[in-house]
Amino acid sequence: MTLPLDQRARLGLPDAEAVARHDAAVFDLRRRRDEAVAGLPEFEALRARATAIKRHVLDHLDRLLETFESQARAAGVVVHWAEDAAGLNGVVEGLLRERGVRCVVKSKSMLTEECGLNAHLEARGVEVVDTDLGERIVQLRREPPSHIVVPAVHRRREEIGRLFHRHLGSPAGESDPARLTEHARRSLRPRFLAAQAGITGVNFGVAETGTLVICTNEGNADLGTSLPPLHVACMGIEKLVPGLDDLAVLLRLLARSATGQPITAYTTLLTGPRSGGELHLVLVDNGRSALLGSPRHREALACIRCGACLNTCPVYRRAGGHAYGTSVPGPIGAVLAPALVGDASARALPFASSLCGSCSAVCPVGIDLHGQLLAWRRESPALPRRLRWTALAAGALMARPRLYRLAGRLARWTWPLLSRRWPGNPAAAWLRDRELPPHPGASFRARWTRRGSAP
Amino acid sequence: MEVGLFVPCYVDQLAPAVALAATTVLERAGCRVVYERDQTCCGQPFLNLGRVREAARLARAHLARFARFEAVVCPSASCVATVRRHYGELEGVDDAGGVRERTFELGEFLVRRLARVEFGARFPHRVALLASCHGLRELGLGTPSEHAGATAAEPGPTERLLRAVEGLELVTPSRPDECCGFGGAFAVVFPELSGRMGRDRLRDYEGAGAAYVVATDVSCLMHLDGLRRRLGQGPRPIHLAEILASAAPS
Amino acid sequence: MSGARERILARVRHGASRRAVPPNPPASSPTVAASFADFADALAAVGGTAHGPLPLSTLPGLVEGALPVAARSGRRVVEATAAAWLPTGGWEVLDSNVDPCSLADVRVAAVRGTLGVAENGAVAVLGRDAPNRAVLFLAEHLVLLLEAGSLATDLEAAFRSLPPDALHAHHLTWISGPSKTADIEQVLVMGAHGPRTLQVIGVETEG
Repeated sequence: MTLPLDQRARLGLPDAEAVARHDAAVFDLRRRRDEAVAGLPEFEALRARATAIKRHVLDHLDRLLETFESQARAAGVVVHWAEDAAGLNGVVEGLLRERGVRCVVKSKSMLTEECGLNAHLEARGVEVVDTDLGERIVQLRREPPSHIVVPAVHRRREEIGRLFHRHLGSPAGESDPARLTEHARRSLRPRFLAAQAGITGVNFGVAETGTLVICTNEGNADLGTSLPPLHVACMGIEKLVPGLDDLAVLLRLLARSATGQPITAYTTLLTGPRSGGELHLVLVDNGRSALLGSPRHREALACIRCGACLNTCPVYRRAGGHAYGTSVPGPIGAVLAPALVGDASARALPFASSLCGSCSAVCPVGIDLHGQLLAWRRESPALPRRLRWTALAAGALMARPRLYRLAGRLARWTWPLLSRRWPGNPAAAWLRDRELPPHPGASFRARWTRRGSAP
Repeated sequence: MEVGLFVPCYVDQLAPAVALAATTVLERAGCRVVYERDQTCCGQPFLNLGRVREAARLARAHLARFARFEAVVCPSASCVATVRRHYGELEGVDDAGGVRERTFELGEFLVRRLARVEFGARFPHRVALLASCHGLRELGLGTPSEHAGATAAEPGPTERLLRAVEGLELVTPSRPDECCGFGGAFAVVFPELSGRMGRDRLRDYEGAGAAYVVATDVSCLMHLDGLRRRLGQGPRPIHLAEILASAAPS
Repeated sequence: MSGARERILARVRHGASRRAVPPNPPASSPTVAASFADFADALAAVGGTAHGPLPLSTLPGLVEGALPVAARSGRRVVEATAAAWLPTGGWEVLDSNVDPCSLADVRVAAVRGTLGVAENGAVAVLGRDAPNRAVLFLAEHLVLLLEAGSLATDLEAAFRSLPPDALHAHHLTWISGPSKTADIEQVLVMGAHGPRTLQVIGVETEG
């Protein structure tokens, strides 16, 4: 009866030690977020403003997109539109081919992960170098990121040391994070200087001014867009804010929610290309407009990809990002996947939650994440068949008090049998890691009846 | 005051002692407790599975059953959250009688409705509070640690009741309100992850020196108790009502 | 291509509900004067160092002392709008459109900042003051020169205080501390790709 996530969690984080390490590393981000939040008296007020801003954006997205496009064009940006992953990949491939680009440096973009851009370009002979350190690590390991802010959080320093020894020539046995980072820096600097194009994601687009906003701590997106002559920016259509005032509110929340920093080290606003350079922007839909048309689920489009809901999610921390099988894991991944991916595995993800609500409580833009998980369950045909039958039978039972009491008596008689592990025991899933409660004796109803008849 | 005792199905069947303890405490508080004998399930498991048809049918029956009471009290925060917070999401469930707003979790009822925290209870043990997620984040029975003002916040009703118990020492785990991993269907659809979460909670409470872990939700406690008995160690789960009923009033 | 545009916009138009604009809640932060000391604390917390405020007349002599030891040799460049604040010897003044790859060996770069933010230690660097944007990230050590009175309490106030042409010259970059990463086991390392150190020198322009 288990869904694939449980099994994939075992593959990603195979033992208790790996789980504990991953949980502690990710929860540390949540703890830093709490400290940053506690130090900002106006935090809840900011959250309310951010929620209102993003709601407004979704309500008026068509006009904002048109304004944004015309302002960006006026500033010299070439704007492209892509309906889906193939559209994005085709536009980027075409831009690179027209200019004879063979090597590209790329900074983190969850959108290009979603669309499989790297694989598409590599299959066509373009060398794509991910430059965010965490992204570089997972790229060298040929695995997807497991977290949207810290992509290699599932890997230990020793594993990264071995990886860098093999690929970057760092000394065998080196596992000091500072020295490994230095090796990565030295190996990537020539790539930046030689790259013919830089590909980036976009954190925010400012409609009023046509400005692209890119946030990093490493400065990799900045090197990747200030050295090569061509910058291709890939942006989901929902990433807009109306003006700079709105941007300021979201920037005050983004890094605090993500890592507890007051702001990322670099927050770059690009309005038009640099002199002598080209700036191409690809606006990508890939299921977003359809999600916008679903009033019950559209609020998920407000997400600013801070990762706070991943960091706080007790399921994510113990399953690891790879278990989700989607580019964005965690609670937000589980509410986006049914709309943006839509296959059976994606539709099952909303069930991968204990509905504790911590995700909704940390979300800086007020997405009711656990409400969304519940809402998707209502529409999902992904409920395992056995559970569906169980629900149907239990529903019939609960609607008939006498039948319910009869079932209770039956369970009491068979309790010793149910409590033991044997093939076909309906309580098998409960018994995997747990014991059943001791035999409860008479039901409360029976005891109440006795109590009532007592003097 | 006459209160309708709302006894969730799994409490009726698997933890009758909790509902009896709740009755004792309510009677000590001066309430006349009435038990409607045809209760089954509030619909929470069905809601959690997305089965809204079954949930709505049970919700209608539930609201009709409790319509005549001035207050409905339940020793399970998640069932109260279902009635108060989630019935509104169900189509065709009309609460003209306002039952939802008159439905309370036991501790919440005692502290916020009756303004009483002292019941003469005595429980000389070190106890950790498992802040049940639905009680904490959906009923506001405390301030969740995610909230900006969490560290300076006033304690919620559950904690206030516990602090008034003679001899009881509240210990603080390193993560005060992380989910225990029960989550209804989650516990059986994802038993391995659910187990990982629960064992981590037990370790945290044990590390804080707790001999008991107290909660307002029997389901969380059954899950933790099942894990504890499989492991052969860990703090003993106990329900808030059982602690409050633990000694006769002086 | 334009087909994609029209189809996407049509779907978005259908989905956008165009509810009335909700009244924008008032600015969440009070506007109060920010102090250089607060700014310096915030900068220190993100790994940078603030100096001063130093009187303009003493600046050329004091800049040298503000640099970390590793930055006291090697190629030093300064963008034109900050050149007047530095000693005339030893600093190479950049033209406005240098081949960025020719800046790869820069040890120290000095650039003028426009506005500092007390809540996060960030400094706004405008395109007009840093026409060679790449040098902000290629330099091993970055020095930002900032008028000590040009401070805002928080980022919202800061955006409101920017000059109206702040976005006109290609980029506006908020820089908060040196380049950093924590991608290996969450251990914070400075100098991931860009500057290993960041010095912000407050300049007293009045009196």
